[in-house]
Amino acid sequence: MDQLTIALAKGRTAKQAIKLLQNADITFPDFHPSSRKLVFRNPENTVKLVFVKSVDVCTYVETGAADIGVVGKDNILEADADIYELLDLRLGKCKFCVAGPKNTPPLERVDQLTVASKYPRVAKQYFLKKGIPIETIKLNGSVELAPIIGMADVIVDIVETGNTIRENGLKIIADIKDISTRLIVNKASFATKTGSIQRIIDQIKSGLECSV
Amino acid sequence: MEIFSFDQTEANQQKFQVREHLLDNLKKRFSLHGYQQIRTSTFEPYELYSNQIGTIPQASMIKVIDPSGKVLVLRPDATIPVTKEVAGKYDSFTGHIRYFYVLDVFRQSFYGNGGKERTQAGVECFGEKSAAIDAEVIALAIQTLQDIGATHFKIEIGHANFFKQLLAEIALPEEAMEQLKATIQAKNIADIGPLLESFAVDPSLVEKVSQIPFLYGHPKEVMERAQNVLVNEKMRAELNSLWDVYEMLCTYGVGEHIVFDLGLINHMNYYSDIIFQGFVEQVARPVLMGGRYDRLAEQFGEAIPAIGFASDVDALLAAAANDRAIARPADITVVYETSKLTQALALTSRLRDEGGYRTIAVEAKERTPVYSKHIIQLCAKENNWISGDTVKSFTAEEDIKHFLSHMNGQ
Repeated sequence: MDQLTIALAKGRTAKQAIKLLQNADITFPDFHPSSRKLVFRNPENTVKLVFVKSVDVCTYVETGAADIGVVGKDNILEADADIYELLDLRLGKCKFCVAGPKNTPPLERVDQLTVASKYPRVAKQYFLKKGIPIETIKLNGSVELAPIIGMADVIVDIVETGNTIRENGLKIIADIKDISTRLIVNKASFATKTGSIQRIIDQIKSGLECSV
Repeated sequence: MEIFSFDQTEANQQKFQVREHLLDNLKKRFSLHGYQQIRTSTFEPYELYSNQIGTIPQASMIKVIDPSGKVLVLRPDATIPVTKEVAGKYDSFTGHIRYFYVLDVFRQSFYGNGGKERTQAGVECFGEKSAAIDAEVIALAIQTLQDIGATHFKIEIGHANFFKQLLAEIALPEEAMEQLKATIQAKNIADIGPLLESFAVDPSLVEKVSQIPFLYGHPKEVMERAQNVLVNEKMRAELNSLWDVYEMLCTYGVGEHIVFDLGLINHMNYYSDIIFQGFVEQVARPVLMGGRYDRLAEQFGEAIPAIGFASDVDALLAAAANDRAIARPADITVVYETSKLTQALALTSRLRDEGGYRTIAVEAKERTPVYSKHIIQLCAKENNWISGDTVKSFTAEEDIKHFLSHMNGQ
């Protein structure tokens, strides 16, 4: 049996993802939500689970440091990694949106549109498609602040309920894309460990169908 | 006098030796199969590549401008110039030519990590289109992986046109088509359906396209599953042609290493038929890529069917990482005292030229470095043959031959 390494994004979807693995009979008895440990193994010692920052999951998988990754579509789109995206885990659903102050004029009428985002690549692609030239400012958090203090005209961010947007006096201007958590796989691992990876995917899939 | 072993294991030096050793073996392997080495210019006209739509993105090429204002690029790929050379050499080519190359290729960035240069070792086989040639070239690719000691590896075989036929049935704007291809390439089943449905594509076609990512695995199973997605006879013929190659590879005894991947896409648009790539366990990137490109030579005025592959030498090195047994720089060190200089130099020269031994002569000092396992010591009073723990004194040079024949027998 091959040893497999799964990279899991720390944060909001981690607990659900662990549960999903549990449903697929891949358990990590040591795991506890408040634990600071970053590496876990299942009792059979066939699967190693590593917790990494969500923006790094694609890097771990693309470089082969992990065979499998569990990460949001938002990070996959931004990373533009050469990987297989084999399963929609239907967790952490949200969407990419453009948001800005309530009085934002139609975007095509703003000259020199400046967009702040954690996802500059996604932002660039979206506005390129719309034919609107933009400048991007890469931020790592509290993106909503950018239009308020005048650093940017609008933001591109993931929106779950829209509460943060509203509470900061912004409104959603456009939806870009639906997001959910995906299971990604390194292409070389898929070729050389097909059986083991396929088995895990099938197990997770049947676990998914039970939970629906 | 003290003799100490001069250990030349400086990491970079060692790495270089391993790499050269690998390249030597690759060259030997290619020539054993009837390929002859060629090289092409490092600088090529920009148009050579920019005219090849869908091969190398223009932004990724490294360009230089010559004094007359002409734009040149540092060779970003070897197959195109090699094909150009073959097409340029012959009028109405009918023969059979096998070339191999070991060349550096240059891009602004490989794998997004900033590296600008990679060494490719590859073969190109011109002049015949048949399942036998396809299988022979793929078997050679497998052989190169076996040569580096890889046991756990897979060759994914696909077809450059197979699912394009299916996509041709679907009317999609160019941008959406690119997105669809990327989605298929990522085996992203979850997003294929919604993407196609948003363009009101016929549900039976959506179903067929959604099947493509599943057309991966054991050739026999893939063949069975693929029957459901065929939309025309051409697809059937293409599928059967892959099967013919697979059967022949089984005859080569390498069938266990083959998987079919009908969703395989190669970014080089010149591929026209079978395409393949090789993966070795523990290496995250393909170690080799190749395929048949029957139409490329037409761009240079000749119709020459051809198939080839290129190995990424550094990826191969990573795959061969356990193989770190490095030869020492020499076979024999001749350590001499000053009075024996004449004899030592003559002996060294004879050992090299007549015996073919890599030999270094060093003067005996308080501490004498040696570069080999075997040492010949020439002192004023006596001569010694030292090999490991064995020390034997000798008088005539004839005795050395005896020691050496014993050494070769080991």
